[in-house]
Amino acid sequence: MAVPVTTPDRPARRVGARHFVRLKLRVMGNNFRGQGWRIALFLVGALFGLWIAAGGFFALAAPGLADEPRFALLTAAFGGGLLVLGWLLLPLVFFGVDETLDPARFALLPLPRRTLVVGLFAAALVSVPLLAALVAVTGLVVTAGALGGWPAALVSVVGIVGGLLLCVAAARAVTSAFATMLRSRRVRDLAAVLLAVLAALLGPLQIAVLAAVRRADWDRLTGAARVVGWTPFGAPWTAGVEVAEGHPWAAVVKLLITVAAVGALLFWWSRTLESAMVGAASAGPSRQRRGPVGGPVAQLFPGAVGWARRDRFGALVARECRYWWRDARRRANLITIAVVGVFVPVMVNLGGSRLAVDGEQAFGDATANSSPVLVSLSMLFVGVLASVTLANQFGFDGSAYAANVVAGVPGRLELRARMTAFSLYVVPMLGAVAVILAVLLGRPGWLGVMAGGLAAAYGCGLAVNSFVAVLGGYALPETSNPFAMNSGAGMAKGLLTLLSMVASALAATPAVVAAALLGNAWLWLALPVGLAYGLGAALLGSYLAGDVLDRRQPELLSTVTPRR
Amino acid sequence: MSDQHPALSLRGLAKRFDTKVAVAGVDLDVPTGSFYGLLGPNGAGKTTTLSMAVGLLRPDAGQARVLGYDVWADPVRAKGLLGVMPDGVRLFDRLSGAELLAYHGLLRGMDPAVVDQRAAELLDVLALTDAGRTLVVDYSAGMKKKIGLACALLHGPRLLVLDEPFEAVDPVSAALIRDILHRYVVGGGTVVFSSHVMEVVERLCSHVAILAQGRITRVGTLDQVRGDRSLEEVFVEVVGGRTATGEELSWLSR
Repeated sequence: MAVPVTTPDRPARRVGARHFVRLKLRVMGNNFRGQGWRIALFLVGALFGLWIAAGGFFALAAPGLADEPRFALLTAAFGGGLLVLGWLLLPLVFFGVDETLDPARFALLPLPRRTLVVGLFAAALVSVPLLAALVAVTGLVVTAGALGGWPAALVSVVGIVGGLLLCVAAARAVTSAFATMLRSRRVRDLAAVLLAVLAALLGPLQIAVLAAVRRADWDRLTGAARVVGWTPFGAPWTAGVEVAEGHPWAAVVKLLITVAAVGALLFWWSRTLESAMVGAASAGPSRQRRGPVGGPVAQLFPGAVGWARRDRFGALVARECRYWWRDARRRANLITIAVVGVFVPVMVNLGGSRLAVDGEQAFGDATANSSPVLVSLSMLFVGVLASVTLANQFGFDGSAYAANVVAGVPGRLELRARMTAFSLYVVPMLGAVAVILAVLLGRPGWLGVMAGGLAAAYGCGLAVNSFVAVLGGYALPETSNPFAMNSGAGMAKGLLTLLSMVASALAATPAVVAAALLGNAWLWLALPVGLAYGLGAALLGSYLAGDVLDRRQPELLSTVTPRR
Repeated sequence: MSDQHPALSLRGLAKRFDTKVAVAGVDLDVPTGSFYGLLGPNGAGKTTTLSMAVGLLRPDAGQARVLGYDVWADPVRAKGLLGVMPDGVRLFDRLSGAELLAYHGLLRGMDPAVVDQRAAELLDVLALTDAGRTLVVDYSAGMKKKIGLACALLHGPRLLVLDEPFEAVDPVSAALIRDILHRYVVGGGTVVFSSHVMEVVERLCSHVAILAQGRITRVGTLDQVRGDRSLEEVFVEVVGGRTATGEELSWLSR
């Protein structure tokens, strides 16, 4: 009887990956319980994914079906490589990763790290996007089978399975590493720079691809595809093609490369996972803050908001401003805007002109590539992208929003203050985008068109996203991972974001139409008209959405409060 | 004129979540100047009831009035008289204590000079001045309760509604909070708070209501409710708890 309580019981059964998978399925299922609209959104998203997957399938199967062996390597290497790259970057930039099973929840369980990593990895494989990707890359098996018979098809099956595992492992490892870095106060600026460099890599890549496609130089492209095929980005997808081309040894080496890459990524993930599990506790010593300066009210208002009156509006703006910087999740969003907003339009518009400089005879008119219309379009994209960050602005607050409900803050005031605070960060960034682009294109005369287009798109985005935030707010999980999304219903949220972006873009389309129709007059009119249009849209949006907010404050509070 | 009205008056408040009835019709009158304890086991509906009473959760049925003003029909007047400390709700915790108080004060439409003076005083009394510019998210549980109380008190409300003010608070902080609440009631304010700590309720309250399974089962002054027994005995009897016989869980003592 006198056995000490601390004697460890030998576990009766081993915990395996299937437990994690079943847990994830159960959590996803419970998430839908009694939420008809969630099921509907999920189905719409699934159909959408299936549609895209079918398109991908036929694109990848085309070389096999048309019996065109010289394109097989190209589609496999570039299509598969794009898939891996997308899987890697999209969670960082747009969507976040699904943290239905938050690693922190497993911190207290006596599980070896190996079991945990394998289990979480297996659970991460249960996802609709992965299923869609599986459908798409099955096209590669068709191609390999048509060109090389059964052996090639079999190797291709092994290859795509390895490739999909690689996609998921890469996404998990990279977001986990970035989350750890952004959490830590010491290296978060470094993380921001790294993110910027990653996004900047898209530019040169795009230029190279465009240049190659325009030359239609198949030899050079095939050479590039061969190189890509030997990196982890292309290795899993091209293994089947190698068999079809009669190099079985190459296929084996490529499969080994894939396995090694997955192993390395999982190892990297397991290292950062530990810090995700203990969470903010290991975030390093907090920076020593200076002693209080002035009274409490003076402390609340940061320098940039010094102009505001010390009243309700001022307090809301000041608090929001502090939050955009102090909350890791919001800061990650700001960094994304800065990165994507500056780099993408620069690369899109510069891609054309640099080709022209390279002396491409056939594309001597490539400067037409960057016309006022194209510039307006890319500005539309940037403006809409910047404002979509506010689509779940109340979700950032979570249950803390109760303070505003208890104080009875009028809805219009609330929305105007939130727009103002966000704009204090974003408008300078957008201004910088316009100036940088004008300088790089060597078209200072277009500055007005760019700034006007940006203002119109951003203002319309603010208005649309006010409605989206009030009507479609959702709770964010209370983890310290800024990339985490809420359990399960990720598809629904992605659709909501997409919807709000489309709506904002439609509302701002007149700016692009004007650029196309009005010609030179628009160069002068764009700035004042665009500013007035954007400002008017934002004010109208806050006016109308504020009314809705007044009527459903408690409902909004309960939808943004995380369920426990 | 509002003195004729009870500080808080609930009529038939009800709330259902999906299939579960959380609160099944609560009637309650909290007299002005009383120190009112709302008792109940976990899951009895205390937080739901108080949330509906202060305008954080829309009731399916019923009314809530603060000093005569309907919380749901005339929220601006009612909320102006209310100070609230919800439980399980985050504060805007990426502000420092002083910043948070300034935010709450200005949000209530107070004069900045008054906010500065009262906030400094509250921080001093609650021994939070030493925290300096530490963010509230890095505060200990007791400090969070204290800053939450300061936010609720800052605008000088007539009625204070506190959800579990003594949960996770160390004895020193608890004594401080008790002292402040006591002074507030002596000064003419009214306090309603929920708790399941019997001795705190017995020591502080003038009135008590026991809530079980979404209904009020006992209500009245402290003496009326407990009679000649201890409050704990009455509570356990009303709630219907079970006592361990010593047979079960035998594997705990090997």
